[in-house]
This record gives sequence, structure tokens and C-alpha cells, in this order.
Amino acid sequence: MIAFACSITKPDVYARCAEAGIRRVAEPDSRVHAVPAIGSIFRSYNALLDTAAGWEGLEALVLVHQDTEIVTPEFSARVREAMADPEVGLAGCVGAVGVRSIAWWEASVTQASFINRYEEHGGGDLESFSWDWDEAPPYARTGEVETLDGFLLVLSPWVVQNVRFDESLGQFHGYDLDFCLQVRAAGRKVVTMDVRAIHHRPLAMLPDPEQWVEAHMLVAEKWEGRTPGLDPLPGTWEERARRAEGERDRAVAKALWHDLEAEVRVLELERALAETKDSISWRITAPFRR
Amino acid sequence: MIAFGLSIVESEPYRRFSGPGLRRVTEPDSEEYAFASVGLTSRTYNLILDETAKRDDLEALVLVDPYVELRDPQLCAKVRQLVADPEVAVAGCVGSTGARSLAWWRGQVRSGAIRHHYYEHGEGELDGLSWTRAERGTGEVDVVDGGLMVLSPWAVRNVRFDEALVHGFGFDVDYCLQVREAGRRVVVADLALARHSKLDFLEKPEIWVEAHIQLARKWEGRWPGAEPDERDWKERARRAEAEREAARAEAVSGELLVDARVEQLEKELEEATGSLPWRLTEPLRRLNKVRADAARRRASGS
Repeated sequence: MIAFACSITKPDVYARCAEAGIRRVAEPDSRVHAVPAIGSIFRSYNALLDTAAGWEGLEALVLVHQDTEIVTPEFSARVREAMADPEVGLAGCVGAVGVRSIAWWEASVTQASFINRYEEHGGGDLESFSWDWDEAPPYARTGEVETLDGFLLVLSPWVVQNVRFDESLGQFHGYDLDFCLQVRAAGRKVVTMDVRAIHHRPLAMLPDPEQWVEAHMLVAEKWEGRTPGLDPLPGTWEERARRAEGERDRAVAKALWHDLEAEVRVLELERALAETKDSISWRITAPFRR
Repeated sequence: MIAFGLSIVESEPYRRFSGPGLRRVTEPDSEEYAFASVGLTSRTYNLILDETAKRDDLEALVLVDPYVELRDPQLCAKVRQLVADPEVAVAGCVGSTGARSLAWWRGQVRSGAIRHHYYEHGEGELDGLSWTRAERGTGEVDVVDGGLMVLSPWAVRNVRFDEALVHGFGFDVDYCLQVREAGRRVVVADLALARHSKLDFLEKPEIWVEAHIQLARKWEGRWPGAEPDERDWKERARRAEAEREAARAEAVSGELLVDARVEQLEKELEEATGSLPWRLTEPLRRLNKVRADAARRRASGS
């Protein structure tokens, strides 16, 4: 039996996104355990795992964010394929190798089979690079990775029984990388598989940067030097601090300048649009547009 | 006599921007010290300082970036007023307090009347330094931007730009720190200028980071007016590495948001200009353009 679980803070979002996807792919005997969150995502997910650990006949537990909509009709078959390897502990549809921090997207991403569906500026879809395999770049592949994006996690029964989210790490950020690192440290594999999902979320990646920074520090402190791939960065602490401070300030400035360029691009288009709609041609052809 | 100094890498920006600005603001007895760049701006500026320091009648030296167009007809009068205070050694049009690195714009930014003239996306002007979230205002600051630096005779004769800062960035911040370490003041004044530049932050970002590191090393623990950083290096490294990644993620988010907004506007424009009535009236617009161009030519007498 493949089970689905979700921790809910916004029931309407769950109904529109996660529940819609689960209905699409669940099998008749699938269990669906969607319950209100009980604190941090670490705590809430552990409660889901504790419940699922008691279920007989569990083949895999699928943890989805409330805003994640699974769209692959053969989802259950793909999950079974991935879990057929007893060494596999976790699977997902977005993953990366060479990961050095919770900013896993800065590493070498091997698969990103999802759409970011946003509502800003009239709404739209941002397709990630392996949403359509025909268009995917040469580095896109399924297979073993170091971390997965936590918006969709498939857990083997062994993981459900033996691994828990580390509640000391905060509220939300970093839970997925830490969990993947725990699974790998326990000798199991983390893999991506050929399934797709829609992530219904705003475009802002870090709505709470301070919390994210704290999580980044905690996860780095926990894992740096303790696991392959997360070797300490080169240099003394002083050298690392100085370089990071420089690179941080550069990144901040780059973002600010980008805002400026953006303002100008938008101004140009708004000007063109206003000129068009203010023209005689536009006004005299108005009756034809009604 | 108020002198004006420029380090010239290429003649074009001087002809287009700083030259016309200088003609607008200089007085009959003002002298221009335009030196060919000898590598680092700090080196060229020091040559200019050496030259102007010889002048007994020097009232102030105004160092101007070739891409800066001075737009303040009262500039000389304002400069005289600034250097009348013997404690003021450096003045600028924009500066900040509270920053502790080469990234002076991370402090509380104050500026005069700056405009930013850009050439991309149909060309135009914005409030200058809007990306720094600057507030209009004058007064004492920690550092000023090197686009325009007014130096008092004392500064010209006693403080030199640090040529050991070999990466080319931060000569302005370092100069202001030296001046303040010597007990003099740095101020932002209500001066008007336009900066002509691309909408591009840094062409050599890696070198900028090296410059950031070098300046931080030089002033660590003795940054004028700042409490020493009590955190150990490990703590600083962890936080900076995290903040760096957060800043990068925020930059990406910003790009995505803009792309979404631009896509929306492009779609709207395409819908507006792709409609049948709009296409049918295209000859009318062409005719109107010909008439407008002809009217413009007549008006300009060509």
C-alpha cells in the first residue's frame, strides 16, 4: 500500500493542490493522512511518520506539501519501481549533487521535474528544466542524488521506521537536506525518479530570510565535515568569513541593481503600452474591439 | 582657485559627460587637471594631488569621474562654503554612515540631487542611487562615493589615496577612512549631478570581492567610529556564508518576479498591437510619423 500524508496549515490550499493531486494518483487501497500542522514542519512530519510506522503493508509513504500537486498518472508504479531497490530510502522529483548547504539549488541540480505555478502579475507557470524530458538539458537525469527538494518526498518503509526529522533545526528550512543526509548517513540511497508535480507557490524564494539564515548556520554546523560532499570549505575561518562577507555584499548589490534594471524594463513597456492606448489609431478602432 | 581633477581612461565619456558639466560649473580662474589614467585611479589621483598641492591659491580640489556630469551652477560657491569649515576634509554628493565594508551602500545612505542616466531599454533617467534606498539629505557621513569628491587643501596636502589597494575598488572609502582617522570630517553636500552609466552593477565581480577582502583586512579593528567586531571568525564565517546564499536566492526571486511582470506587460502589448483593427490602421500611424518627423525637421531648421 502506498500512503500519502500532508501537514496542513491552509485547508483551502490543500484542497486545491495536494488533495487534487493525491486523488489523481492514489490507488483504491491507498491511505491518505492529511492533518493540521502541530508546530514546525519537523515536528508535524515526525507525527505523520509515527502514525505511518504503525500501518501494515506499507510500501512507501509520500509526504507532500499542501501546495504540491502530483500530476504523473503512473505515479504509484514509478514509486514501486524506485522502492524495488532495498537500498533506496528516499525518492523525489527534484534533486542535486555537490550540495554544500541548504541552498541546494546552488549545487549541481540533476533533475527538476516540476512547474512553479505562481499568482503574481496575472499568474503563470515556470517550467523547470526536466519538466519536459524532450527539452531537458544534457545533465538532466534520474538517479542517485545527495538531496531532494522536500515539497515531494517518498519514504521507504525502513525510513519511516528508523529516521526522524531533526526538530532542533528550527521551523521549516533545511528539513529536507538534513533528512536526506540522515538517510544517506544510515547507508541508504536518495534518488530522483521520473515523476512530475506542480508546486503552487509564490515566486519569492525566501519570504523569511532571517529564519533561513539561522537554519543554514545550524545545518552547516551539524553536518560540515561529517558527511562526504560536505567537506569543510577551504581556508581558515577568517578567510572564509572575509570571502563570504565580500560575496554577500556583492550579491546584495547585484540584487539591488537588478531591481533597478527591472524598474526600467517595466517602465519601458508601460510607456509603450500607454503610447499605444493613447494613440488616435487605438481610439478610432475602439468600436471594433468591443 | 577651485581645481577640478579627472583621471581619463577614454576621451569619449569626458567629451559627452564630464566635459560639458565642467563648462557649466567652473569659474573663470578654475583650473582643470585632466590626467591620463596611469592604471589605478588612486595612482592618477595622487598625481593630481601632487600637482594641485603646489598651488598656494588652492581653495579646493574637486575630483570628478569622467562619467559624472556636474549639473550644479552653484557648485563652486557651495564648495567654498563646505571647505570654510576647517574640520571638513572631504565632501561628496552621496555617502553613508554605519557601513563597515567596501559596500558603503549597505549603510544609511544620504545624497544630494543625483540623477542616473541610463542607455538601455529606451534610455532615460532615474533618481540616482535609488538602488541604495538613499535619502535626500546632507551632513556628516563615514564615507562618500568617489564619483565626486571635494577635497580641502588640507586633504590635498596631507592624505594620499592608497595605491596598495591594487584591485581598483574602494579608493574612495579608504580615503575617507584615512581622513577620519586623522580627525577630520567627511560630509555629504547638496550638490547636483548626473551619473551616466549602464544598468549593470559590476563588470568584474570577482575582483570586487578581492577588493572587499583587502579593504576589510586593512581596516579590521580600527574602522573609525566603529566598535570592534567581537564575534569569533567561525561565527562570522557561518553567518556570512548563510547571508550570502540568502542574498543570492533573493536575487533569483527578484529576477523571477520581474520576468513575470515583464511577460504580463509584453503579452498585453502584443494583444494590443496584434489586433486586426490595430494592424489595419498601421498606414495611418506611418503617415503620422512621417508628418511628425517633417514637423520636427522644420522646427529644428534642418
